[in-house]
Amino acid sequence: MEENVDISVDFAGVGLANPVFTASGTCGYGDELADFTDVNQLGGFITKSITLKVRKGNATPRIVETNSGMLNAIGLANIGLDKFIEEKLPILEQFTTAVFVNVAGERIDEYVAVTERLVGEKAIAGLELNISCPNVSKGGISFGTEPQQVTEITSAVKKAAGEKILMVKLSPAVTDISVTARAAVDGGADALSLINTFPAMAIDIESRKAILANRTGGLSGPAIKPIAVYLLNKVYNEVARKSGTPILGLGGIRNASDAIEFIIAGASGVGVGTANFIEPGCTAKIVEGIKKYCARKEISNIKELIGSLLKGNNYSRQNVSHQKSPA
Amino acid sequence: MNNSDGTKKGPFRAEVSFNRHIGQKYHRLGLDFTGAGAEAFGTSEPGQFGELELSKAALPEPGAIAKELTDCAERQILLRRPFSFADVQAEKNSTYVEILYRVVGPGSLRMSTLSGGDSISVIGPLGRGFCVPEGKKTALLVVGGMGAGPLLYLTKVLSENYPKIEVTAFAGAKTKNELPFERRLDEVSQGLGFSIAEFAKYGAKSLIATDDGTAGFEGTAADCFSEWLKESSLKSEDAIIYSCGPEAMLKQISEIAEKRNIDCQISMERMMACGIGLCQSCAVECKADGENESIYKLCCKDGPVFESKEVVFDL
Repeated sequence: MEENVDISVDFAGVGLANPVFTASGTCGYGDELADFTDVNQLGGFITKSITLKVRKGNATPRIVETNSGMLNAIGLANIGLDKFIEEKLPILEQFTTAVFVNVAGERIDEYVAVTERLVGEKAIAGLELNISCPNVSKGGISFGTEPQQVTEITSAVKKAAGEKILMVKLSPAVTDISVTARAAVDGGADALSLINTFPAMAIDIESRKAILANRTGGLSGPAIKPIAVYLLNKVYNEVARKSGTPILGLGGIRNASDAIEFIIAGASGVGVGTANFIEPGCTAKIVEGIKKYCARKEISNIKELIGSLLKGNNYSRQNVSHQKSPA
Repeated sequence: MNNSDGTKKGPFRAEVSFNRHIGQKYHRLGLDFTGAGAEAFGTSEPGQFGELELSKAALPEPGAIAKELTDCAERQILLRRPFSFADVQAEKNSTYVEILYRVVGPGSLRMSTLSGGDSISVIGPLGRGFCVPEGKKTALLVVGGMGAGPLLYLTKVLSENYPKIEVTAFAGAKTKNELPFERRLDEVSQGLGFSIAEFAKYGAKSLIATDDGTAGFEGTAADCFSEWLKESSLKSEDAIIYSCGPEAMLKQISEIAEKRNIDCQISMERMMACGIGLCQSCAVECKADGENESIYKLCCKDGPVFESKEVVFDL
């Protein structure tokens, strides 16, 4: 029975009604979604990146669709911290879902300054540290690829974050994502989120120019999902399980089956990004789908599912005992 | 909450009523909405748009795909596609919406195979459409190619709600066969005159411009409009210009409007992932109030219709 399934999650000490989040930069500040879905049905809501000062963002085209995916180079366009606190926090305060603010910057002291201003806000459960944006010339991804820098920025922000939980968003564009994951945990990260988009490019062969005004952008959507599942499982096995760090899994999640794959791979939470652009109410369906799956599999608590990936592959003998006998 | 039908802007299911060729390049798609979708789309304003989910529609047979589109036909599409409305008719229990489109890529290729009875998912109506300031006596519509869609719908609304406003449309295409209008162009003007049946049925005058001179004025719609304006004794404050089409044309029209001090609203186009203000990709550079610096507005929420004087053109 679905109503007997407990899909609530303890995410680094924050109690979530369910594991489903909206990913940063895909649902604005919350008010934009109201015409389509009830934000309070989400386990967690992550805002668009906030920087200390207002940012106009990049010139257009800022997006281009690619095979089963899309590239974006928005350039962290945002209203800036002051306006965010003044105009958007009152909206976020009304949400019962756990709100995370994605924080970005060009220098460590900017990240710290934004964090210090937000740390006293009751509406916010935690912060997501964006050290993996591929679309800005300074800051962004450059903080997220050098392990020492990852530790340094994480620990500086963690000091400023007080009681708020600090989640660090990792880039897939590194040689070994477990190294950056460990660096974030060493710096005091309470949670990890992965993956951010892949740096990528699309070219117009008629003009022989890059399609995006920024030339390069971040690849998202179903095209990156198998890579994201692999990287998440790797971080879970090599870092997060031992350190007890919950992971928010992101990358091409469109439906409950996709979300469940991430949870089995080791995710405590799942973030939906690009899919919101196509079905802005899809997160509510994903929550329902996870419940139904658990009921069908006789899983009474979703915790049993997190990181429950079995050894062997789908055809190996090791799996036989877990499969239902054919009817 | 029922996600398929019950939120304010959808997604709603629409049933395809027809899908046909118009001239060499264009198609028209008719959609019927019922229930909450009919209610939502029944309030559509000219210039607003809908986001169509086309990924589940079939591709044409391989032989029926134009050579230049065979490679892109192999691409799996992901995002919805935005289209403004060429007509909206709210009935008692249903709303009819018509869309003018061209086949240019993997989305519109799939769109071209939809046929009567098919069902598709649509979000909308979205964005801000054209509006009519008080005291206007003349509406001048400058139409480039696909831009005919929203301006045809605007013409209908003007004729119904503002019968005292005199409407003249200037419609341009590369060549006669690429004009995106229904009915044959028997009365194509060689200069001035009534020519496009679809405007005439709403009592609007229309002039045709073709780049190659195969119909009407030889040149662009903007050039045709500019020539006409030179001859006209129009009072600037009585008139308003509405324009939709390629950005170079919109820029030219905006410059004419500024020079003649005529109010002007233009419908902009940008690549957009969502159409509902989430992705922030459809930025339109606009002049900031009282400052030299510009700001980005969103084509999907702040537009697609903008006052021409606020837009900073990047051409």
